[in-house]
Amino acid sequence: MDFKLGEKEGVLRRAIREFAQKEIPSEHFCLLLEEESRDEDWELAMSTSKKLAQKGWLVMAWPKEYGGRAASYWEQMVYGEECGYWGIPGISMGISGVAWVGPSLMQFGNEEQRKKYLPVIASGEPDGVWCTGYSEPNAGSDFANIQTRAIRDGDEYVINGQKVWTSCAHRARWCWLAVKTDPNAPKKHHGISIFIVDMKSPGITVNPLLNYYGVHIFNEVFFDNVRVSASNLVGEENKGWYHLMQSLASERHSIGPALYGSVRRLLEELVDYAKETQHDGKPLCQNPVVRHMLADAAAEAEMLKLFNYQTTWELTQGIIPIYGSSRNKAFGDQLLERISIIGMKLMGAYSQVDPYSKWTKLHGIIQRLYLLFPGISIAAGTDEIEKNVIGQFKLGLPKSY
Amino acid sequence: MDFKLSEDQEMLRSLARDFLTKECPKAKVRELEADEKGYDPQMWERMAGLGWLGLVFPENYGGTGATFLDLVLLMEEIGRNILPGPFFSTATCALPILEYGDEELKAKFLPQIAKGAAIWTLALIETLGGYEASEIRTSARIGDGQYVIEGTKLFVPNANIASHLLIAAQTGEGDKGITMFIVDAHSLGVEVEVIPTIAEDKQCQVTFTKVKVPEGNVLGNVGGGWDIVEFILDRAAILKCAEVCGGCQAVVEMTNAYAKDRVQFDKPIGSFQAIQHRLVDMFVNVEGLQYLVYQAAWEISVGSPSKLHISLVKAKASEVYQQACLDAIRIHGATGFTKEHDVGLYFRRVKASEFAMGDTDLWRERVAVELGL
Ligand SMILES: Cc1cc2nc3c(=O)[nH]c(=O)nc-3n(C[C@H](O)[C@H](O)[C@H](O)COP(=O)(O)OP(=O)(O)OC[C@H]3O[C@@H](n4cnc5c(N)ncnc54)[C@H](O)[C@@H]3O)c2cc1C
Ligand SMILES: Cc1cc2nc3c(=O)[nH]c(=O)nc-3n(C[C@H](O)[C@H](O)[C@H](O)COP(=O)(O)OP(=O)(O)OC[C@H]3O[C@@H](n4cnc5c(N)ncnc54)[C@H](O)[C@@H]3O)c2cc1C
Repeated sequence: MDFKLGEKEGVLRRAIREFAQKEIPSEHFCLLLEEESRDEDWELAMSTSKKLAQKGWLVMAWPKEYGGRAASYWEQMVYGEECGYWGIPGISMGISGVAWVGPSLMQFGNEEQRKKYLPVIASGEPDGVWCTGYSEPNAGSDFANIQTRAIRDGDEYVINGQKVWTSCAHRARWCWLAVKTDPNAPKKHHGISIFIVDMKSPGITVNPLLNYYGVHIFNEVFFDNVRVSASNLVGEENKGWYHLMQSLASERHSIGPALYGSVRRLLEELVDYAKETQHDGKPLCQNPVVRHMLADAAAEAEMLKLFNYQTTWELTQGIIPIYGSSRNKAFGDQLLERISIIGMKLMGAYSQVDPYSKWTKLHGIIQRLYLLFPGISIAAGTDEIEKNVIGQFKLGLPKSY
Repeated sequence: MDFKLSEDQEMLRSLARDFLTKECPKAKVRELEADEKGYDPQMWERMAGLGWLGLVFPENYGGTGATFLDLVLLMEEIGRNILPGPFFSTATCALPILEYGDEELKAKFLPQIAKGAAIWTLALIETLGGYEASEIRTSARIGDGQYVIEGTKLFVPNANIASHLLIAAQTGEGDKGITMFIVDAHSLGVEVEVIPTIAEDKQCQVTFTKVKVPEGNVLGNVGGGWDIVEFILDRAAILKCAEVCGGCQAVVEMTNAYAKDRVQFDKPIGSFQAIQHRLVDMFVNVEGLQYLVYQAAWEISVGSPSKLHISLVKAKASEVYQQACLDAIRIHGATGFTKEHDVGLYFRRVKASEFAMGDTDLWRERVAVELGL
């Protein structure tokens, strides 16, 4: 057993810190999922993606031939932590591209697709931005229930249907799309396939969906006789479900370190805030309730850190952390919820202020997080779904639904 | 970074598990709860034979030179099985002797401990129940080359069978006024009374009436006692948390097995989501606690203990244990509420482990300090 990270990781940590202090405005605090909303945030994200690409960090895990530098799992983890801590935007190129489209293409795409799409993502250019079309009005947690159809027509497929909650569709050049190719398959997850779709294709309509705070994260996407080349089918036809289950673990795993980094930063900010803020004639930090709330959150943050370490370690041992990824996602979401609520409590009356107004404290990050965390905890699998996975596959309990 | 135990550690763990399962089944635990001594001298001897009592001592003191992390792994197994007796209390005294004792003290006391010929316990807290230097009122006054100790200690584990006590007493004012003494438990003026506890774990009140202790029995420096107490607290807290963590694992495992087995409404109750998700929460929290314990223990083992990491563990452990036990009892239904069922044995130990070495609030406060609050 050994709980120390290596020298290489230390060097990378320092380099990222230097980069962040130089390139990222000090009041900026990036929240995953939100940067695609406002134009100025998106611009900063895209210009940062390009700089990250130039540094060789954006897709550091990928092999050199596709624009990466075959970084170790530990380096990737440290990179995630630091990006979360410093609030570095643009790290995921609209979420999908870096975290799962690339890894999926490497796992089950063909060489032609890899050559065509991977270097574009790796470049950090807007043409490397992807969205993901899984969810539909009747297919959320029960993803295999999708109805969007792709029907083969010569060298092409014709796609019809509707996706919903598609994050970043309004910024994306490509869609990573799940469709039904065999609606008569005996089991509903047997007839699913994955396609790469150019968002500029005729027949695609993107309608914005604003969240309850008016932030534009996701969209409805309609497909009306959209034609794609058969060469855009990824992996085997009707095997999409199995392909996606593989890539889902890496998707869930990739969130953990950045989430931990953000939480650590938030805790530090809240500690400083509690020290600087007077309440009832004395500093907030002397209030025992405040001290205890922050101490409890710190203990859970430490647990999340070690959970990330443990899944990363599993990866280095050649184990795909199916359970660990679900655990980290569910645990991380709970922690985010706790920190948001504690943060809002500490803000007192200022917690109700618009995050961008002159009245706001800590640059509005606490309110933004509070408004966002329910969404983060639903996206990529709800708490209940993660717990079903853990109960069934880790604890060996019978299926509960 | 490495989450794997070494081969030796795996061996220690499986040996410990086998030994405890065989030698200390739950029937034995119950028997020892009712027993006046609260431990089994023959088992104690066999533990000495396995090298457990001197696990972390260098070989020249009769030990095996293992690391603190190894000791933590052993404590985890002890907690998992429940082993009544003075293993923990003896370890909390042996560690400071190893660290602060001079050559003479070490040569005198450590081989005895390793052989199983001595039982030690730490007499620290008093009627105020707190872990602050200012709450130590037991006094030690010097005269004629010896100290005379007066006062009362509470919640001293296993003092009823101890051969030696390590006690904190006032020799001056404030933090610098505490000194640690080694006291022969059979000295004139030492009186021990077992406090009935819900864990039936033989915590005692120890009164010192004009107890004479030779000067040579001071551990460390006169006035340097509180540093030793801090040294003990950090390590003993982690040992206690390892024990808690083992207990949590046992509780989760028995509950998971029960949820698969128990059928109501024609289904195993583990198929009901209300039960399944509760079990998942228990499982994940216990796993997290285990990593917290290992991290802090590893850091101590390599000589760079982290105050923050130690404090986090002790602030978290009892919360996890309590919740796991409560959920476990609920999932067992009325069976879990019975004397015969093992889950109650664990639940009855939750508070004892919380108050050993400082409660949750004390350690939360230490976390807050480490965070800069
Ligand atoms: C901010 C945000 C961004 C998103 N981005 C994308 C995206 O880019 N692309 C995309 O495809 N999708 C995206 N989604 C959609 C997301 O994947 C789904 O919202 C999620 O899978 C849940 O589906 P649902 O909303 O239909 O809820 P439902 O599946 O209807 O669930 C409703 C409630 O029922 C619970 N529930 C459902 N089934 C079970 C069960 N078996 N056991 C116990 N409880 C159950 C759920 O946990 C939840 O609490 C995004 C969502 C959000 C909030
Ligand atoms: C102090 C005490 C006094 C009692 N006195 C009496 C008495 O005087 N007379 C009498 O007849 N009985 C008495 N009982 C028994 C009591 O009614 C039962 O214990 C209770 O109905 C639960 O049944 P069980 O213990 O068999 O648990 P189980 O029914 O086996 O339940 C085990 C666990 O599974 C859960 N579970 C079961 N079914 C579901 C489901 N469908 N969905 C979700 N979760 C589920 C339960 O909530 C519980 O957590 C007493 C019990 C206690 C503890």
